Amino acid sequence: MKGFSHFMSGVAVASFCPWSIDAALQGNPLFFILGGACGILPDTLDFKVYRFFYDHDVYVTPDPGHLDPQYIADEIARAVNLAYDDKRYIRLKLVSVRLGADFWQQYIVNFDNEKLEVTVKFGPVVNTGQVPVEGTENRFPQVARATIKCKVIQTYDAALKVDIFDGPTIGLAQRPDGGLDVDFLPWHREWSHSLTVGLMLGVVFAFIAGLFFGNWTVGWQGLVTIALCYGVHVVEDQLGHMGSNIFYPLTKHRTPGLHWMHSGDGLPNFLTVWGACLLIFWNLYRAIPDPTYTFGFIHLMMVGLVVPGLIMGGFHWLFTRRDRAAARGDDADDEWNDMKAASG
Amino acid sequence: MSTFLIVLISVSAGTVLSSLLACLPGLHVYNVMGAMVLGILALEGSNWAVPVLVYLPAMTGMIVGWSMLNTIPAVLLGTPDESAMFTVMPGQKYLMAGRGYEGTMITALGGLAGAFFLVLVVAPLAPRYLPVSQEVLRGHMHWVLWIIITFIIMSEWPKGGNRGPAGWAKFYDAWKTLLMGIATFLLSGLLGFIILTRSPVSHEVAFQNIMPAFVGLFAIPWCLLNMISAANVPKQRITKSIEVDGDVILRSVWSGGLGGGLASYLPIVTGGVGGLLAGHATAQRDERIFIMGQGVSKFVYYVGAFMLMFVPGLYLTRGGGAWMIKTLYSPIGVSDYYLVLGCIAIAAAISYLMISPLARGTLWLIDRFNYRHVSSFALIIIVVMVLGVTGWIGLFIALVGTGIGLLPVLYGSRRLNCLGILLLPIACNMSGFGEAITAWLRLT
Repeated sequence: MKGFSHFMSGVAVASFCPWSIDAALQGNPLFFILGGACGILPDTLDFKVYRFFYDHDVYVTPDPGHLDPQYIADEIARAVNLAYDDKRYIRLKLVSVRLGADFWQQYIVNFDNEKLEVTVKFGPVVNTGQVPVEGTENRFPQVARATIKCKVIQTYDAALKVDIFDGPTIGLAQRPDGGLDVDFLPWHREWSHSLTVGLMLGVVFAFIAGLFFGNWTVGWQGLVTIALCYGVHVVEDQLGHMGSNIFYPLTKHRTPGLHWMHSGDGLPNFLTVWGACLLIFWNLYRAIPDPTYTFGFIHLMMVGLVVPGLIMGGFHWLFTRRDRAAARGDDADDEWNDMKAASG
Repeated sequence: MSTFLIVLISVSAGTVLSSLLACLPGLHVYNVMGAMVLGILALEGSNWAVPVLVYLPAMTGMIVGWSMLNTIPAVLLGTPDESAMFTVMPGQKYLMAGRGYEGTMITALGGLAGAFFLVLVVAPLAPRYLPVSQEVLRGHMHWVLWIIITFIIMSEWPKGGNRGPAGWAKFYDAWKTLLMGIATFLLSGLLGFIILTRSPVSHEVAFQNIMPAFVGLFAIPWCLLNMISAANVPKQRITKSIEVDGDVILRSVWSGGLGGGLASYLPIVTGGVGGLLAGHATAQRDERIFIMGQGVSKFVYYVGAFMLMFVPGLYLTRGGGAWMIKTLYSPIGVSDYYLVLGCIAIAAAISYLMISPLARGTLWLIDRFNYRHVSSFALIIIVVMVLGVTGWIGLFIALVGTGIGLLPVLYGSRRLNCLGILLLPIACNMSGFGEAITAWLRLT
């Protein structure tokens, strides 16, 4: 899920703790800040700290001045063959190609296990919003190929797309059948996305509050808030593909997710944020001793979520019904099919 | 003359006036309204007293016209106010691709969609539901501000650290922008504490005391950047139609309405912050939705905040326009509400019709004169305006603001961090420890 969804989920979880609302009504925003911050913290640790210290065995660094897909294919094949020959875990870094302040050259990597090849093709130039720049789609029609010594199994996405900001890291792990598994972003959700780490952070907070400020009440309340809000991030990420290393250091690997959604999907992210807002609203309402207006939870959900959702959905259906009919007739709409067509 | 005609003429005049003023870079409608309020107050009790039915529709028209038309300087001249800041980057991309007119019209269409959303969807529901939410959220606004601050700081993406071996050097390269973002936020906050606690601006123009700082933080850095780095603007195409469909408008209203709605309802949260939160919440990637959504957001932010003051049972004062009107008039009953809604609808229609000719005129200017010269001219207008309204001390504040506002430009961090100027002092005050900080800073 996106950062804001985790953030708001953390705030929503904090609003379930009675001390958060009591403190807030006395002008103390601490527990809500802790809720939001811990909701987003696992990703902050990974994306803003840990990835800069994560070392790689092979760096694929395309030259923006001389774009050569064959170089990329050869380097990826070298990494695969290294993992196969040395029988060890290889960390491969695919560096992005920046063409200007807001422009990036996309490239797509795919493993063809039937032909034992890695193929690379340059896609369109995209802006930082990952929107393709018109007229750049077919600047490089050729597909580069390089031979690999074993099968490489991808569990995350059919094709690896490299475009904006930092390119991805992939880990090449040994399989019992002699092939290799692709770990997408092995530095991500390695240790940070774990319920135990959240708990440990809470304990640290509690000791700081207790020992240095002499306030053990705030300490245990903070412990519970941090552990729960950090934990909700881990739980939410289990709904996606990649999963999390839930009980690190007791568990060593990520438990695969439920594959219910992709982290960037618009609707689930929005529903999470909006749902969190409604839950916060409900908890604040429950804390009013003698409310002027009275309403139930179902009423709130109907007015705040179901009715507007149905109206929006209806309009969306109305406006896109023709596009959907056209899309159904087109079964070659992804980049990789595009690539095969170009190579054909 | 009938009441209807008086209102119609007033709202039309206000809209046309502010639509023209909106094309002047750096000038905020609230500066003009502030001067008008002083004039109206001075005339009170005399034979020339201005009736409510004249100034209320006129000022409604001014806010509507400005929120729609300030797209022109934001997109075509690169001099945004804070609420239009997000429109500038994609808007300037349109400009550099020869599609500045299209970018402007897409944003304006967003404004018109925002008007429909506000008048036809929000307005009928507001008297029923907003008083409820006001009761529930009473006493909680301070922590809402704090979590917004937390998210603004925590969500900034490190721009550097993309190449090279792992280690501290890479970490530092990435954190340069983040640290500069935090520094910008804190410095802006410090400036905010000074201005809000012990403003050096003369008390006669006290309602303008934040203006020079805002101009310095947001508008002047853009002008300077344009003057230093602007390439020649390519020949602009005037398109007869724009490529949007019902779904793009729907999704723009969804995302922009949410952002503008948050900004208009929550205290101190501005259009830029609302846009940031809505952008993260709705995860829209289509550039057209982004630009049109900003048009919606800007309209809902300015006009929606003003409208809240008239919602029966709520009467919530949000935004500079409402605070100024409040010094003249306190709304009562539904008739004022309907009056304002009618004025919003008329003003939105007039201002939308004005945007095309005014955008063409501005493009003609850009085409005729060098973009760098246009930016220099914009900068001169801004400086003269600051000097004229707030004097030399205001210009000094603008200069300090410019220094802070240039940090994100130079280091590639988020310009929204400049909003620390309002967010930090107000959040501290609302949580009850603002005074301790001002005492520590020796301001009180």
